[in-house]
This record gives sequence, structure tokens and C-alpha cells, in this order.
Amino acid sequence: MDTPSYFPVPPGVGMEDNFLSLDDILLSQERLPVRTECVFPRLGFLEKSSDSQDIQEGTKMELPLWLCKGLYEKKRKVLSVELPKIYKEGWRTVFTADPNVVDLHKMGPYYYGLGSQMLHFDSPENPDIAKTLLQTFIGRFRRTMDSSQNAYNEDTSVLVGRLDFLEKVLFKSGQSGLNGFQGWEKGQAAQLTASSLVLNYRKRKIVDIQS
Amino acid sequence: MSDALSEDGSDINQDDSQEDVMTPAELIDKLEQAWLNEKFSPELLENRSEVVECVMEQLTHMEANLQRVKKGDAKAGFHRMEIDRIRYVLSSYLRSRLQKIEKYFPHVLEREKSLVEGQPSLLSPEEFAFAKEYYANTETYLKAVALKRMPPNLQAVDMLKAVPEPSLDSFVFLRVKERQENILIEPETDEQRDFVVDLEEGSQHLMRYRIVAPLVSSGAVQLI
Amino acid sequence: MDPSEVEFLAEKEFVKIIPNFSLDKIYLIGGDLGPFNPGLSVDVPVWLALNLKQRQKCRILPPEWMDVEKLEEIRELERKEDTFTPAPSPYYMELTKLLLNHASDNIPKADEIRTLVKDIWDTRVAKLRLSADSFIRQQEAHAQLDNLTLMEINTIREFLLDSLNCMYKLRSNLQPGATKGQFADY
Repeated sequence: MDTPSYFPVPPGVGMEDNFLSLDDILLSQERLPVRTECVFPRLGFLEKSSDSQDIQEGTKMELPLWLCKGLYEKKRKVLSVELPKIYKEGWRTVFTADPNVVDLHKMGPYYYGLGSQMLHFDSPENPDIAKTLLQTFIGRFRRTMDSSQNAYNEDTSVLVGRLDFLEKVLFKSGQSGLNGFQGWEKGQAAQLTASSLVLNYRKRKIVDIQS
Repeated sequence: MSDALSEDGSDINQDDSQEDVMTPAELIDKLEQAWLNEKFSPELLENRSEVVECVMEQLTHMEANLQRVKKGDAKAGFHRMEIDRIRYVLSSYLRSRLQKIEKYFPHVLEREKSLVEGQPSLLSPEEFAFAKEYYANTETYLKAVALKRMPPNLQAVDMLKAVPEPSLDSFVFLRVKERQENILIEPETDEQRDFVVDLEEGSQHLMRYRIVAPLVSSGAVQLI
Repeated sequence: MDPSEVEFLAEKEFVKIIPNFSLDKIYLIGGDLGPFNPGLSVDVPVWLALNLKQRQKCRILPPEWMDVEKLEEIRELERKEDTFTPAPSPYYMELTKLLLNHASDNIPKADEIRTLVKDIWDTRVAKLRLSADSFIRQQEAHAQLDNLTLMEINTIREFLLDSLNCMYKLRSNLQPGATKGQFADY
């Protein structure tokens, strides 16, 4: 039986993110197109395309999600965040027609995660975005399931290649269920192996002795 | 040796007179139910120290008896196999509790703090000590590797917010042990309406843990 | 849950054996077994039966359902019906594997039984995937699954429950007011 020695904190998926989740930290680095709604004094050096000392009001630039969330305020407009195109109406229509045709890895890879985070920024389109995210997930579920349950011992890179990050996590949990069962059926579970914790511990001890 | 339980069983189960007459076989069943429930419930369940202690006593008692048995006794082998099986369930049960404590430690400790007089604690004394130590170690570690290098106003981490809470809205698979009527199922979407189901004895279901949580702790349903 | 733990639970099922030794009743913690008399059938848990078998102390009598004709009937019914029919035993998959791997010489037509059980399993698991997809698609709140066995549930558990969790979170996006506060502050 394989018991991991460390249980990573899972991503928050919805609007809330998990502070200790590595996946959510990576997600927070995603860049968003923004427009400044006031002057950012003496920060001109951050914006390579102009020589001015300040970042002028109305400048278009890209900022990571974590910074956008920190600077965004409903009452006092510091910046406005634009929707990445994958969440705009044009793409939403594509998703409604057939969610399975889209390569979410290329377009994302944090399609669901980033989409949910976008709901933090006020927009009349938010309800539609939320609806599309849910419908896309449901529409693609069957394919994620079938590929994860049929792909035992096969090259899964093509299948996985088009999945969003979240779908990939699900794909893996589907695969581990399948692999666990097939391994049991073949009698692999009957063979005892040393836990990875023990193996690593031995290695560490050797290193300790050497140093 | 089959009635070894009765000598010590009475003082442990004062508050639950039904359990006074539990046979060892029923005790093992109880342990297995607790094991499966703990494995599959999203939150940490109330500790079953009384069951754990009784099982430990049974095992110690049986092992002491086996010491006295002659070598090559066929029965001893049967007993040892059974002991190994029970021991596996016991340690797997305790281990799955420790895993949950590690996963949800700030929330587990918070709940202990807010216990009302007379409300039972979720943790055994040993688990409580483990949770406290785990909390302290995590804090010390975070401080040593990162926080002490941060600006002073950013050196605190609110563990209750940083560590995700158990999600009671998770779905669970369950088998009904005692028939239940009129269980209210809330709708998933705006277009649906709520409805009620009867849970027949022996039937199996998939639904949200939140709905059946009280039935899990009362033993009316078994998570599978 | 690890499949070997499901197997562990299956090993508690009782099976009939014909011992070739004699032994008085034994008082296990989980209940009494025996007495054992050569040639007389007696009920024991599978874990003990397999141990005795490996030490050539007994012959195992296959459970009633482990029979080519019965399994063929079950297979046809399973293929015909859209819903799950009652499984031959709540642990049919595990018991088939255990008994065929360790006592195939005591089970007539072992190979045919292996194939039949695998066919039944495949049909049921395909149905299970269909119903999982429809459960997600309809966004259902409750499903009754009386005839599913633990091993069947176990193959899809993690995937289905994780997916339902993700779906729940994406759905709560539709009511943004419901989440706590705008930005969490650690």
C-alpha cells in the first residue's frame, strides 16, 4: 500500500484560494491585462515602453493576478482588469457549442481556476462566465473520465495534453483508482515493498554520515 | 477467554448501558465500523477511545494466553492470524485519524477550544497532545524558513484561514443500518426543488455528507 | 481505499471447507469456529480457509454462486438490464480472485468462471461510468446504489467524489455572495 509521507494542500478551485496550495500560488502568477485608472507615481521604471517617471493613468499593461487582487478596489478605482479572451463572449459561445473541442491546456492551463478568480473583479459578464465554467466542466466530464479509466498502461500524453490543470488532477485520481485495481487483480499488492519514507530515510542517513 | 471484556467493560461504558453487554465479536464490528467511517468521512469524527481500549485489552489478554501455549499448537496459529488482522484495523483506524489531524489541525484545535461543558471531545488525550505539537511545529517551521525574513507586519499567519477546512459538502457512499424516514435532500441547482427520501435498511446511497453526518455519528448509517 | 483493504474485508466472508484434520472448537475474539473433523464440512472465514488450503489441511467448497451455469445467467441478465442487477455476492470479484488463485484445483471449470466473472465486472463497471456521467450531467443530489459492491464503488470513488467537489465549487461561483468576504487576508 502506498501511503504518501506528505499530503499537499489542494487548490481552492472556486473563488477562494488556498494559502498553502502550491497550485494556487502558481495560479496567482498568471498575468492579466489591466488598464491603470490613476497615476502610479515613481513606478515608471516598471513599464519599459515609456521613459516617464510615473505610470500614467490609462496605461495598458499586464500584471499578475495576485497584484491585481491586491490593488483592485470597488470604491476607488486604481485599475480596471480586462477579461482574458478565453472568458469573453466569443469564446463562451464556442464552449457552449462543444466544450470538448477546446484545447484547455493551451488556452489555460488554469481555465477553471483563473476563471473563478476573475469573478473577484466586478463585471456585468460575471454570471455568464460562472455559468460557462460550470457547463464546460460538466460537458467535458465524460471525456476526462473515459480517458482516465481506459488508459491503463497506455501513453496518456495525447489525452492529457488537452486537459486543463484541474482536469489533469482529476485524470490522475481516476488513473490511480484504475491502476490500483489492475495492480490488485494481477496480484501486485501481495508483494511487499519498503515504504518510500524508509528508503529516503536510509539515503538521508548515509548523506548525514558522509557530511 | 471469550468473556474477558466484562471485567473492565463496565467502568468504561458508564454512560451507555447498552454497550455493557457487548460481546468481543460485536466489539470488533464496532472497531471496523469506526475504521470505515473514519476513512470515508470528510471531517474528523468523535474518537472511539472506549472501543480502542477494549480491543487493546482483548489483544493483550489473548497474547498473554498465547505465551502459555505449547509450541506447535494448531490453535495458536489461528489466534495469531486473527490478532494480526485486528491489529491492522486498529492501527489503520488510528493512522487515518492522525492524517486528518495533520490535514485540519487548526480547525480541530479550534473546535476543542469551543467545546461547551459536557460536550464530548473529538480527540483522545494522546491525539490532543499530537495536534498541539503539530501546530507548534508547523508554526516554528514556517517562522524559521520564511516568516522571520518578512517585514514585521507580515510575520503572522492565521492558520485557521491558511489551512482549508474539511468540506462537509463532499459526497459520500453509505449503507443504511437503521431505517430513516423523510431525509431532506436540498436541490443542487435553482431549477431543482428539494425532496425527501426514505433510507431503507440495507440500501446504499450517494449523497452529501452534511445531510447524513448526524446519522454517521449515531451509527444509523455506515460509510462505505 | 486500497483494493487490498477491500479484499481484506472480503476475507471475513464465510466459506465451507472439508478439513483433513481434527481439532476442537476454537474461541476466536470474533466468534467460535469448529470443531474440525476430517471429511466433515465446516464454515470458516476465507482468510482461515486460504491459510489451511495453502498448508494442504483442507479442501475448499466453492460458494454456491461460483458455478458456470449460474454465472452465465447472471451475465445475460446484467447485459440485458440497464440498471445494476444484484451481484452474485457482495464480494464476488474479490472472492473469485482469492479462491481461483489459491484453490483453483477445488473449483470446477475455474477458467470459465474467471472469464464469466470478468465479463460481469466489465458490464457493471461500464454501467457505473454511464451513471456517474448522468449524475454529474443532471447535477443530481442523491442516488440509490443498492446493488453496487464495495470494489466497484472503490474503483470510481476518488475520481467521482473529487469531480463532484470541483463541480460544487464551480457552482458556488454562481452565487458569489455566498463565499466569505471578498479577498481572504492571511
